[in-house]
Amino acid sequence: MQKNTYRYEQTASLLLVEGYPDLSAGHGNEAIGILSAWRLQLIGTPELEGTRDHLESLMSAVMPYARHQLSGVGLRFGADGGFVSIGPMDSGTRHQLELRSSREGVEPLQIKLDDADLADLVRCLDRLRLDERVKLTWTIPTDQALKRHELVDRIPLQRRLAAPVLGGFALAATLAVAVLQPLPPIGEESAKPLTTGLETAQPDAER
Amino acid sequence: MTEVSVQSRARLSRRGVERLDLLLLTIEALDLNGGEAMLWTSHQIGLQAQFPNRVELWKRRCHNPLRRTTRREQLNPVDAESLICLVCAMAERLYPMLHQLLSTREPEQLTQERWMLLKERLGDLIEERMNLRRGAVMNLLDHDSEGPLHRQLINTLALCAGPGGIDRLRATLLDPTP
Repeated sequence: MQKNTYRYEQTASLLLVEGYPDLSAGHGNEAIGILSAWRLQLIGTPELEGTRDHLESLMSAVMPYARHQLSGVGLRFGADGGFVSIGPMDSGTRHQLELRSSREGVEPLQIKLDDADLADLVRCLDRLRLDERVKLTWTIPTDQALKRHELVDRIPLQRRLAAPVLGGFALAATLAVAVLQPLPPIGEESAKPLTTGLETAQPDAER
Repeated sequence: MTEVSVQSRARLSRRGVERLDLLLLTIEALDLNGGEAMLWTSHQIGLQAQFPNRVELWKRRCHNPLRRTTRREQLNPVDAESLICLVCAMAERLYPMLHQLLSTREPEQLTQERWMLLKERLGDLIEERMNLRRGAVMNLLDHDSEGPLHRQLINTLALCAGPGGIDRLRATLLDPTP
């Protein structure tokens, strides 16, 4: 069976996938239906390699992370016990990719990526998943609009609370003024004639 | 490169249209011949029916309510999809430039100069095209907020470059207003 190797290169990132066509599924000789190995080279970091599960784990962490980054939401992605997780670093312009080996006793590898490295990695993964020669099915979530509550978190608490607090103060001030404003005495009000210059009608009995 | 897909022709919100036009304006700030390049690219990716000339492209962009000359009706979903494809194709063309701006491996002095140039050009374009009486436009020109805003715009273009970015960009533009 013919072994196929495809490379996806983007500036600081190089992804190599190797595999065989799944002849039972009717794939042509050019296709990869069974992934045998993959290697990822990011400039300034050790070469990464693994099985299909590792690559799928990388994709399912990086792709939703990139999607959320576009909306300005800096959440961490990747299951706690999974092979890969990615999250923003304190500086906001860097990202920390954490890779956990399936071998026991191996410390997790932490890779720092800048925005350009992340974009390179995302483009390599995009090319792989859109490559028609690679007949693998990836279980990554589809890109969808975020929920309102997910977006609210990116707005600082002070800004979020400013409008309701200000509105509350304005209402309280209005009520305070209304309560403290002295009302005219009731007797004085009723003693005043309704209209000056007009006499009130007398009852018939008194005529 | 890509055809305008029939699927997910959702109508963009006002905020989405504003953001889409701002991305196109950023592309113009990056590429001095951006207007012509957009038209040429739109023809390359098979969008000549939507944008046969610069005027038609400009008319679609005028749906942005922040522009000096603005159109009241909503942006047609097919036109919105075409503009999204155009942004992604242009971002792919300009990717080396976007990479230089975002990379920490580039010489710092040079990177700062590039950012200054971008800020200057984008500021000029905003002043020229947008309605300066709108608070949102003044916020775009505010020196305190423009740094993170410019970075967000460039980062958005870098992450939506190429055909793989179309779905991501569309999803982002469909985000609800928080």
